[in-house]
Amino acid sequence: MTDSTLQSRFKELANDARGRIQQAVRGRPRIVVQVGHCGAAVGASDLPDAIRQQYGGRASITVAGCDGACFTAPTVLVQCRSGDFIRLERVASNDLRRVGMALRSESPGAPSSAARYIESQRRIALDGCGGLDAESIDDYLARDGYSALVKALQSDPQDVINQVKDSRLRGRGGAYFPTGLKWESARGFSADRRYLIVNCEEGEPGLFKDRHLMEGLPHRLIEGACIAAYACDAQDVIFYVNAEANLSALRVENAIRQAQDLGLVGDDVLGTGLNINVEVRRGAGGYVCGEETTLINTIEGYRREPRIRPPYPVESGLWSRPTVINNAETLASVPYIITHGADNFAQIGDGADTGAKIINLSGSVRRPGLIEAPMGTTLRHVIYDIGGGPPDGVSLKIIGVGGPSSGVFPVSMLDTPIKPGFLHESGVMLGAGAVIAMDDSIDVLSVIRSLARYNANESCGKCTPCREGTPRMVEMLDAIASGQSSKSDTDQLTDLARLVNIASLCGLGQAAGNPILSGLYFFGEEMRDALEQN
Amino acid sequence: MTTDRNTLRSKLREKFPRNHGQLLPALHFLQHEFGYLPDWAMEVVGWHLGIPSSEVYGAATSYTELRVEKPGSTTVRVCTALSCAVTGSLDILNALEKELDLDVGNTSDNNEFTLEETPCGFLCAMAPAIEVNGSWHGRLDPQSALQLVRESGQ
Repeated sequence: MTDSTLQSRFKELANDARGRIQQAVRGRPRIVVQVGHCGAAVGASDLPDAIRQQYGGRASITVAGCDGACFTAPTVLVQCRSGDFIRLERVASNDLRRVGMALRSESPGAPSSAARYIESQRRIALDGCGGLDAESIDDYLARDGYSALVKALQSDPQDVINQVKDSRLRGRGGAYFPTGLKWESARGFSADRRYLIVNCEEGEPGLFKDRHLMEGLPHRLIEGACIAAYACDAQDVIFYVNAEANLSALRVENAIRQAQDLGLVGDDVLGTGLNINVEVRRGAGGYVCGEETTLINTIEGYRREPRIRPPYPVESGLWSRPTVINNAETLASVPYIITHGADNFAQIGDGADTGAKIINLSGSVRRPGLIEAPMGTTLRHVIYDIGGGPPDGVSLKIIGVGGPSSGVFPVSMLDTPIKPGFLHESGVMLGAGAVIAMDDSIDVLSVIRSLARYNANESCGKCTPCREGTPRMVEMLDAIASGQSSKSDTDQLTDLARLVNIASLCGLGQAAGNPILSGLYFFGEEMRDALEQN
Repeated sequence: MTTDRNTLRSKLREKFPRNHGQLLPALHFLQHEFGYLPDWAMEVVGWHLGIPSSEVYGAATSYTELRVEKPGSTTVRVCTALSCAVTGSLDILNALEKELDLDVGNTSDNNEFTLEETPCGFLCAMAPAIEVNGSWHGRLDPQSALQLVRESGQ
């Protein structure tokens, strides 16, 4: 098939989608109701039906995911007479008069703090999240969705890999392995079948970005995954979705069906002869499920345990075939790179580290939610300038960065820029991007204990250092907390934390000592003072 | 609801091809069907997929989301991960323990309530959050959490 027929076939699809939207909207204003995991927890699930009942005749109503400004959920966007959207925040289903008033407004008025929150970000993976119809493919197609896939299909797979390599995109799941290199190595091993797994397990406390991507932009994920599958010659794409993320799984499954119906995935993609089968598999809980080899074990029907590497999954992964496992956020950045070029993407960031990263901000801040900011942005900018800082009368003391595999910062480290890998040698990593701000009423020992306890509970028990070491660290922290400990015990604790990090089999154990090491490094004085009083 | 081995076996035959990779989907199916994984049902899954019961049980118990014990008719889970813990989820947990007269991790004697803590509900920006019978609620305090649980028990 020639490039021009592929192009024209795709143009036809996009035009059809525009036609269907026009038919549905019929010149009426649009109302976009944001329903995501976070909004649903504060009543957003009832809103679409309630709004349809009252305004269904006068407006065209669509459901989108949450736009990441979680502090305003449930959020409804209403098109006013000027054609602009008015953002209604914290909408309750028993008070919908605001929707009617917004429909009648002449102009949108001043932007809300949430609108500024989103504008001050650099959105790549999250671009359009919260505005695009999450239940239909038409909105995505009408806004040039899947055009990156078409562009990729017109070039050689190696060119696609080279572009991603040139963009210096690294895995956003926390390990920051160069994405293009991973694809290339999987392609390099000869095999009858290859697999691409989209890692949407997201089992790490403090994270909610992949859920937002699946709920708000399922088609961007499918597009990114198909580009990756084409580049590394994988015939099967598996979305591995967290067992509890029901809404995410529903939206992704629905999106796969729609893409299949239009011939964008499945057999003979857009008439190119390429076959990409896409399916959803569910995890069953646990941090360690997101670890690559554990994830493979769970799909194959074995215990939730990691395997010894090498062989690495790119050589021998699922069913012993070359397997590429990419985080959802990584793949959501791929269409941008193909559309705008590697150089464009590489210019975002601070030169050394490219692109933007989604920060999952929570805790004691005014505006908790998702913040996609260029690499190199400081934590201070994220927490204070975009996140609004702590509420009045409260000052921050501890910043938890990167979840239980990472550690804690004092506020004096707020000028640290976000970047892949270690942010500080004591064991603080950006990880998948969780940032939890804690105020001065919080005791640092309880924070470290909470992270250590999590690691101990999640340890699968396969290797001894982690199985025995993680509970022992919790016991030692308990002893410190209850005053049954002496100063020399902190040295023992440090030794044990280092040992667990060095000797464990998988990523969980290899990072399980980090909360303790960073806690002692930055807050050691406070902890030792507590011991001295005993 | 499926109550005997033969009916379950024919249902499994319909839904799941006989290969090792179908274990987790089949266990999810059991959990959906029964609310937990009864021993006899895990045995039937083992027959169907050709996996020894011990292996089925071993895999099932390694997953935190799968239950091998029957939960109470109302299951309450309180998120105690860091974001929720620093915004007051421990107060919620204490209030619920008192209200239900139940220590966390247990089911009441009349099988009415199960109270658990969970390491994360992934609602960090809506903290503190609890889950009642599968649906999550955020931005709570002890009062509103108690009210939710009381309403669910009715």
